[in-house]
Amino acid sequence: MLRYLAMRFLAMIPTLVIASMLIFAIIELPPGDYFESYVAELQASGETVDPAKIDFLRIEYGFDKPLWQRYFGWVGGMFVGDFGYSFEYERPVSELIGGRLFLTILLSFATIIFTWMIAFPIGIYSATHQYSWGDYGFTFAGMLGIAVPNFLLALVMMYFANVWFGVSIGGLMDPVYIDQPMSMAKFGSILQHMIIPVVVIGTSGTAAMMRRIRANLMDELQKQYVITARAKGVGPVKTVLKYPFRMSLNFFIADIGNILPSVVSGAEVVAIVLSLETTGPLLISALQSQDMYLAGSFLMFLAILTVIGVLLSDIALAILDPRIRLAGRQSK
Amino acid sequence: MTKSPLPENGKPLAHFVSKAKFNPHAVEELTPELEKYYQASQHKLMWWKFKNHRLAYWSGILLIVFYTVIALAEFVAPYDYAHRHADFIYAPPQGISIIHDGALKAPFVYGRTQELDMENLQRHYPVDKTRRYTISYFCKGDAYEFWGLFEAKTHLFCVEGEGKLFLLGTDRLGRDMFSRIVHGARVSLTIGLIGIAISFILGITIGGLAGYYGGWVDMVVQRIIEVLQSIPSIPLWLALAAILPVTWSPILIYFGITVILGLLDWTGLARAVRSKLFSLREEDYVLAAQLVGARPSRIIARHLVPGFMSHLIASATITIPTMILGETSLSFLGLGLRPPVTSWGVLLKEAQTINVVVLYPWLLLPVVPVIVVILAFNFLGDGLRDAADPYH
Amino acid sequence: MTGMKHSGFVLIILAVLVWPLAAAAVSIDDEPPIFAEQVKSGALPPMRKRLPSTPKMLDFATSGKQPGQYGGQMRMLMGKTKDIRMMTVYAYARLVGFNPLLELEADILQAFEVKEGRIFTLRIRPGHRWSDGHPFTAEDFRYWWEDIANNKQLSGGGPPQSMLVDGKPPKFEIIDELTVRYEWHAPNPVFPLALCGSSPLFIYSPAHYLKQYHARYGDADKLQEKATQKQARNWAALHTRLARQYRPENPDLPTLDPWHNTTEGPSKRFVFKRNPYFHRTDPQGRQLPYLDEVVLDMGSTDIIPAKAGAGESDLQARYLRFDNYTFLKQAEKQHDFKVRLWKNGVSSKIALYPNLNVADPVWRDVVQNVKFRRALSVGIDRHEINQQLYFGLAKPGGNTVLPASSLFDEKRDRAWTQYDPVLANRLLDDIGLKTRNSDGIRLLPDGRPVEIIVESAGESTEETDALELIGYHLRDIGVKLHTRTLQRDILRRRFLTGETLMTISYGLNIGLGTPDMDPEELAPVSAAQANWPVWGQFTETGGKAGEPPDLQPARRMVELYHAWKRSNDGSQRKAAWEEMLALYADQVFSIGVAGETIQPVVVSNRLRNVPVVGIYSWAPTAYFGVYQPDTFWLED
Repeated sequence: MLRYLAMRFLAMIPTLVIASMLIFAIIELPPGDYFESYVAELQASGETVDPAKIDFLRIEYGFDKPLWQRYFGWVGGMFVGDFGYSFEYERPVSELIGGRLFLTILLSFATIIFTWMIAFPIGIYSATHQYSWGDYGFTFAGMLGIAVPNFLLALVMMYFANVWFGVSIGGLMDPVYIDQPMSMAKFGSILQHMIIPVVVIGTSGTAAMMRRIRANLMDELQKQYVITARAKGVGPVKTVLKYPFRMSLNFFIADIGNILPSVVSGAEVVAIVLSLETTGPLLISALQSQDMYLAGSFLMFLAILTVIGVLLSDIALAILDPRIRLAGRQSK
Repeated sequence: MTKSPLPENGKPLAHFVSKAKFNPHAVEELTPELEKYYQASQHKLMWWKFKNHRLAYWSGILLIVFYTVIALAEFVAPYDYAHRHADFIYAPPQGISIIHDGALKAPFVYGRTQELDMENLQRHYPVDKTRRYTISYFCKGDAYEFWGLFEAKTHLFCVEGEGKLFLLGTDRLGRDMFSRIVHGARVSLTIGLIGIAISFILGITIGGLAGYYGGWVDMVVQRIIEVLQSIPSIPLWLALAAILPVTWSPILIYFGITVILGLLDWTGLARAVRSKLFSLREEDYVLAAQLVGARPSRIIARHLVPGFMSHLIASATITIPTMILGETSLSFLGLGLRPPVTSWGVLLKEAQTINVVVLYPWLLLPVVPVIVVILAFNFLGDGLRDAADPYH
Repeated sequence: MTGMKHSGFVLIILAVLVWPLAAAAVSIDDEPPIFAEQVKSGALPPMRKRLPSTPKMLDFATSGKQPGQYGGQMRMLMGKTKDIRMMTVYAYARLVGFNPLLELEADILQAFEVKEGRIFTLRIRPGHRWSDGHPFTAEDFRYWWEDIANNKQLSGGGPPQSMLVDGKPPKFEIIDELTVRYEWHAPNPVFPLALCGSSPLFIYSPAHYLKQYHARYGDADKLQEKATQKQARNWAALHTRLARQYRPENPDLPTLDPWHNTTEGPSKRFVFKRNPYFHRTDPQGRQLPYLDEVVLDMGSTDIIPAKAGAGESDLQARYLRFDNYTFLKQAEKQHDFKVRLWKNGVSSKIALYPNLNVADPVWRDVVQNVKFRRALSVGIDRHEINQQLYFGLAKPGGNTVLPASSLFDEKRDRAWTQYDPVLANRLLDDIGLKTRNSDGIRLLPDGRPVEIIVESAGESTEETDALELIGYHLRDIGVKLHTRTLQRDILRRRFLTGETLMTISYGLNIGLGTPDMDPEELAPVSAAQANWPVWGQFTETGGKAGEPPDLQPARRMVELYHAWKRSNDGSQRKAAWEEMLALYADQVFSIGVAGETIQPVVVSNRLRNVPVVGIYSWAPTAYFGVYQPDTFWLED
């Protein structure tokens, strides 16, 4: 086990190196740079920009240097905690992301809990009551959640929440609470505004998870040990939960790697539509305006989280299913 | 009280001897149905099993209908998807009537005329009951070039004369929504298939190799997957969509986007295949196959993959909708397909304004076929999943 | 604009106010209630002491405004954080600026004197103070000119373009503590325009605040320490960040605007509070602004119409489009606001820009042929577009001045905007595009069909819809249009390299042009102009990049533009403008569709002094700026 862990830790290094290169490529790929898109945007509304000033800024921020120099500058900075500078916001990247992280994580955890609370019982019910009306009903409802595009659902729900319940449109709290210290009223407002994003983001995830639990659990339920357990007279609840359910979670645990970064980035598209103060919209707008250090450092942050998530899921899998531990070499 | 055939309590049972002739093969004898069942090939069994799953069966038929419609889109749609009806901007859906003045008639629609409400800057379409237009079939309408093969004007249905038939209303340029949805299906229903084909081939091959060989192959594959998964999909889409050359025609862009969706989607599947293979390859039947001397490709394809077919099918049914919706998300971010190409994603993107929600809700209707198709794929997947394992 | 038409810039604008009379009317009760406590305790001087000795008294009679009451908060919705700059645009406190009648007058300054169009003397109001109470003096001008504009580390490119005549900077002089002078060797009509612009040229900076961050006045090590602490690379980066006046992101930076920012970003909500030392008063001599607070709520631009419709804004026009009108009108019934119909001041809401510098030689010959451009222009049925897109409420026309402009001439500026497909066909036949293919599309001399790819930034459906209609019209004259949507910066690069054949975008900002406004958009002077970027680049860089115009009318445009720039006489300027307009319309350098389109403006029912009808434009009205938001007030 220790050897396995050591191997996994070492393996993280090349992953992160490749990821950093890929991310740098992503933020460099689109033609042009931030200043160009900034000038274009200003000119679209009739404002003029002094070309000399733009050239000055470009040199100031080192855009005249060759690609590899900038890459090493960026990566090197991250080792000493300098994540670069956002051109759009004119402030260090770390400040920007930090400010939004709390609400993002809060929202993500609420969504995950919502998803689990619904997906697990229904998944188990569906697997054990295959082709019953309940199974079809839940499948149908879950599929509806997947099928309706999130951005549309968000818009419609946001509008009606305003018309029927007077919830202010967009955002994660009523505007009057922004930048105010936390209070009961503010917390209430946050809770109220979180319902729509949690439901919208949660529905699609719920259906997917439900289907997977159902499919995997059904596979397990057909195995001989389940029949043996039944034959032995183990109660139906215990029969399902003790082993088959645990086994069917393998896929789910393999997915933890994906959950961690999405906890931090949030669902970007829904967040954009609902104008949430989460990190997702920040990332997308940074990518679109080519605010490269903001986008790049944030992506790198997510990449590191994913790698850690995958590591955790591998360890969990190894504990859950000892066969995997032997994966270092073919056993036969 | 009538006499029971059973003896009184405490008395022994009466001795019984069957007078029938003893047939030593009786246990193995089968009813004709059972005989058919046992002798049927695996494929036949699958088909029976599948047919038994009524929902899956009907979903399959529905999907066949959908795919037939997209093959014949120009013919089925009453108008060309780009045809503007200047006098019918934002016209709401129109009902088909069969009763006029209390008498039963062939299906028809009433005429409508546009009225401008200059106070609210809105267009209204009051129904004019004096004008009636009967629906006719196989009639002449907008000209089109069918699959680039021949020109035709025949449409499945339309209304005669000056009348207009907008089953699902019109959009801001007066284009018939029904025709647009039918044409849009062509892109939306195929983008998922191509994308998923790419993603499955990559996912099963790469995941299979990693899972079977383990060792350094697994290590490399794991790292590649990790790198790809460690970057959220939207930035990857953004970056890849940004490098599609701007000079590409819309149809090339469509293929480009399909490939992008497929190229980025395989990682989850590959990981799942890999971890499943890790468990399966320890099974005795794999050892048996190895001892017999089967090559790894044969072992993976013939012995291992069928072992988790159900999982593959389950994720396929989830992935096709994801692909269809992925296209809509890309459209939402302004990176996907763009007008004049029509897809459900493009239509939904156009509906993404508060104006539509409040004033023109019929423009949200493209959501209905999206839901129907996704449900159909899902139920079909359920049926296939059962059928893939017919001995259970 | 009448005031400027005759006098040009040889004008002396004095604040004609009789201060002592008005001052007598002000008593302690007239203090904004929010300051009453502080004034009583002595923490803040009384209003009379806070105002300059001759404040700028606004004329309410001509603009039809009512004196109001103090207090209240006005909410507005913005998109990105960068939109915080709109506060500077809306506030519209300028050294010299336009009044609601679009006449130029001294605003922050007491007087702005111009001699020979090249010697500018600026007189500061005695007793004028920054929002932190520090006096506003000639030192603030000197600091900007010597320590910012001419500091290599702060302004790498040297002083801004509008302060250079033939590449030479002015001679800067401090006459006394309240008077400065800028003197050029030749007329510089761009200078006052830059000062009154919506995005103004700031030629002053709060020296007393900024010196602590400037290397010339501080210890280098300490400055570096400060910079590192605030995560800036060096003192110059920190200074630049803290000194930004157009984007008032630094809450500590003193300002002369009616409200000053109190929110340290990044935030989704910026609260601007009243500047106790603002220099304007209402006719009763009460200090403006009326409103205590202005709040900018940042949200994604797509939901701003929905938010405005839910009554979450007290004054909103930004990010509201014409097609939101019906929705807003409905929402009006449930919420406490009304939608007003303002006019858009851009010369044409949508305009096509054929790229005269397109790389393809065959296409270049065709596009440079005026008959081709005229044919496209008369091939468009503007009336239909107006009916379909704007309910017939806009004014079909070319991409030029609007009827509201004093320069407008029906015959000249409406040339080649009639719908005449017969004429269009004849013009195209004339230039050798006679043969057509089986689809009825004309063929270029080398046999390719006349298919034009129109590139757009795709930011409004209005553009795509108009293009759809235009494409339909042009089919009738044998020209096929395709649309392609690109990001704006890619679009810019593509037309500059000649890959783009035609662009669709907004019209020019000259809709309300006057002879004293800058006619630069009519001439090839910038690489950002989609119709002649290469020629524009040539003028812009002084011949270092780009190519000189090789089309006679375009060359003439440059000549006329220089004539306008060198002149210091009103009638000469007017003549230059008129010839440029005539040439532009006759040569159809760009193809306009419709102007004076409707801009919905959501106004809270409680908000007073917002004009019922106004012109919404970047220039010259600075959106709400010339309507003086400092005079807006909320009724209880």
